[in-house]
Amino acid sequence: MSMQKMRKPLGAAGVHAILGAYTVLALWPIFLVIANSFKERKAIFRDPLALPTIDSFSLIGFEKVLGKSSFGLYLFNSLSVTLITLAIVLLIGAMAAWALSEYKFKGNTLLSIYMAIGIMVPIRLGSVSILQLIVDLDLTNTRTALVLVYVAQSLPLAIFILSEFMRQIPGDLKEAARCDGISEYGIFFHIILPLVRPAIATVGVFTMVPIWNDLWFPLILAPSPETATITLGVQQFIGQYVTDWNSVLASLTMAILPVLIIYLIFSRQLIRGITSGAVK
Amino acid sequence: MSSIRLNNVKKAYGATEVIHGVDLDISEGEFVVFVGPSGCGKSTLLRLISGLEDITDGDLYIGDERVNDYRPKERGIAMVFQSYALYPHMTVYKNMAFGLKLGKTDKAEIDRRVRETAKILQLDKLLDRRPSELSGGQRQRVAIGRAIVRQPKVFLFDEPLSNLDAALRVQTRIEIANLHEELKTTIIYVTHDQVEAMTLADKIVVLNGGNVEQVGAPLELYNSPRNLFVAGFIGSPSMNFIKGEITLISDTGVTVTAGGGSAVTLPLKPGKATVGEAVTIGVRPEHMNEGADGDFHLTGRVDVVERLGDVSYVYFHLPDTERLTMSVPFTSAAKKGEAIAVSAASADIHLFDEQGQALERLP
Amino acid sequence: MKTTQTGWLGRFPWHIAVFLAPAVLIYTLFMIYPLLDSIRLSFFTADDSGAISYAGFANYVTILGDPEWRASFLNALYNNLVFFLVHMLVQNPVGLLLAALLSLPRLRLRSTYRTLIFMPTMLSVVIIGFVWQLILSPLWGISETLLYYVGLVDWFEPWLGQENTALVTLSLISVWQFVGIPMILIYAALLLIPEDLTEAAEIDGANHWHIFWHIKLPLILPTIAMVSILTFIANFNAFDLIYAVKGALAGPNFSTDIMGTLFYRTFFGFQLQLGSPTMGATVATLMFLVILVGVLFYLFGVQRRLRRYAM
Repeated sequence: MSMQKMRKPLGAAGVHAILGAYTVLALWPIFLVIANSFKERKAIFRDPLALPTIDSFSLIGFEKVLGKSSFGLYLFNSLSVTLITLAIVLLIGAMAAWALSEYKFKGNTLLSIYMAIGIMVPIRLGSVSILQLIVDLDLTNTRTALVLVYVAQSLPLAIFILSEFMRQIPGDLKEAARCDGISEYGIFFHIILPLVRPAIATVGVFTMVPIWNDLWFPLILAPSPETATITLGVQQFIGQYVTDWNSVLASLTMAILPVLIIYLIFSRQLIRGITSGAVK
Repeated sequence: MSSIRLNNVKKAYGATEVIHGVDLDISEGEFVVFVGPSGCGKSTLLRLISGLEDITDGDLYIGDERVNDYRPKERGIAMVFQSYALYPHMTVYKNMAFGLKLGKTDKAEIDRRVRETAKILQLDKLLDRRPSELSGGQRQRVAIGRAIVRQPKVFLFDEPLSNLDAALRVQTRIEIANLHEELKTTIIYVTHDQVEAMTLADKIVVLNGGNVEQVGAPLELYNSPRNLFVAGFIGSPSMNFIKGEITLISDTGVTVTAGGGSAVTLPLKPGKATVGEAVTIGVRPEHMNEGADGDFHLTGRVDVVERLGDVSYVYFHLPDTERLTMSVPFTSAAKKGEAIAVSAASADIHLFDEQGQALERLP
Repeated sequence: MKTTQTGWLGRFPWHIAVFLAPAVLIYTLFMIYPLLDSIRLSFFTADDSGAISYAGFANYVTILGDPEWRASFLNALYNNLVFFLVHMLVQNPVGLLLAALLSLPRLRLRSTYRTLIFMPTMLSVVIIGFVWQLILSPLWGISETLLYYVGLVDWFEPWLGQENTALVTLSLISVWQFVGIPMILIYAALLLIPEDLTEAAEIDGANHWHIFWHIKLPLILPTIAMVSILTFIANFNAFDLIYAVKGALAGPNFSTDIMGTLFYRTFFGFQLQLGSPTMGATVATLMFLVILVGVLFYLFGVQRRLRRYAM
């Protein structure tokens, strides 16, 4: 066996060395920020690579951030905008995906292409008119404005993924339901919707991550302190307190940690969703 | 061309052993078929020989060389996969040439060999096509052609016919037999289909649960199965098994009685069997006849009659509910629900002891 | 299928309309209409009161003809191209390498590597921008310390602050964050290649390198092409990272200005220049054209020539 192993271009050790090194490269900036956010100012500069110790441990940054900014509100804004968008996208996206993948009607192909334009063309390019539209609808500085735009932004990919998924549902299932006299609405809500649950993880990630992390639309549609999302809130807070390292590090940590925790919990489903071939 | 020898070959995945010490001798130019139910280890054994899996313990010789530590390409083998495993992005020509190209064979030589092989397999007009543009049978031939051009010492076939429809399967089976006739290269062929095994093999290896149950020529396995498993696996429809008991052991053989049947003396060596031992009597459907001409008599009631044209299968049961199958000429008048008398000649009857091992015939 | 009749043939299929209506309405109103309206607006000009009037190609003539406008537009386009090239030359090859390693058979810790390397991709670009700004800051000095440990302390420069290094530095930060996307997409494509194929190649005498080069790479070319066009679209639409690290002015001296930041400044104005929705719409339309050229090149120049093989 030894001969065989040696003739490979790089052995198992080499592969682990490369992957391990890259993993460290990917993680240390994040680790560095989180570790230093729990230190007092002097320790941040004196020994930035060290973990917080009993001596250097300090929560001063977090206290300042929570005192000087509406961090809880930003978090709430981000959560509500993201989750409401997700719920709407899943419901009306699944409805449209079902119609496009199940029924043969005139213009089906054309409509499918029409709905797919948004996968290739970034919605930001329409920002001038979107802002005008939101002003006309009297929705500036509301979370509703963000939800409407984000729903439009997320629908194309969601419909694409969900219809791919729905095409795999065996036709017998629907035929059987139709024989039982269930209406088309009944079939969708009682049979199809429960069956696409596994696709929700994939659609959820592709919908939520860009929205949660977006800076552009909060900046132009809802920049008021009452409606700022966490990304915008942190951006503005850091712009204001750029020299207060404790606050900066703490605010970054508070923006990173929720996402990291959720990611670590759901990473398995997420990556399985991406690698299952739903997205090609 | 090369002989192959397996010496106590074992394969384990972690703590689970799946091949339990296989000994096997394959002579040069022999066509050997590994047959057995799914999960019996036949494909694993083939992959051990190919080098795609490491052998956990034991020795594997191809020719005179111990090849345990050789990589697949160094073993001088070629393999035809069940799914054909044709490279979808390469033309038929490139699929066949790929291995030679990697082996740094001279370009003109590659071309000569590919075209020659293509001719044998009637692929010469398809060389520029891609696998997606071929029919199932053509893909199959490309897969075989890819193996042939490499002029291997041993061909390995992993269930190569299972993706073909019935008609094509028979045709390709004959082509493979002819090919072996022509090339005279050692072939190891894995299948779960005992008809393929019977028709193709010089030597059949029956595997079950990671063990070799019996090795022998097709008719040897048919006439003298060594145990219940082989008896039941080889032959179609399967051999009938009837519970019985030894009542007498004498110089002329072993006398048994079956529930609902007559006593019969079989020309067998008793071996370790003793009077009173519960045994299994085995009779092939084609060795049973209607009427009372034979030595062993049974009476039962007909459940179903299947008429296939040249032959009919009569499914019937004995009073103690054992279900049996008999193959009779199409002229048979057996009818569902009627009583039926059946007999068989003592020379055609097999007997298995309590452990399921066959009793040997008297010389 | 029971409900295949349309319109005049049978009863009007109301349920299809009901299923489609909400998505089509919201999508049309908030995505398609604004995109088309932006293109329309680019042919108008606004006076001081905000009233708009038709102006033909005047805005385009200004951007491409006026020396100052032209300079800043070409600068942004050029910078964006550099931004894209760095991604193509670093992000996608590294992603491919990581995917190839991750898909090796019998690799231990596979899912751990996958999860951890993908992690930065999940975070906000803004947050990542700040994190790297801190790390590269001479004030904190952490990069200097690390370079000191590996004996390269002399190499240290305030990369983000210098005109000749800021753009490439920002590009590399973006590469660092998004390398997970090509990695995971290519990894998924590699997983779809049946094991029979690589085993057949192994029997044919191929080593790991041959298998990758002759079997796997040709089969995942469509995925690599797709990753490239996705990178192109994302890069020519980028904004957040530059805005977060460098602000709307994309300093120093516009050396990190890309199409996204130019669009923002034109739309909302900066310092002395007033914002102009119609000029903003013009820049957006030009961005749209750049992306369109890329997408069309992909659809007709690349994708058609690449076969997708049934596996």
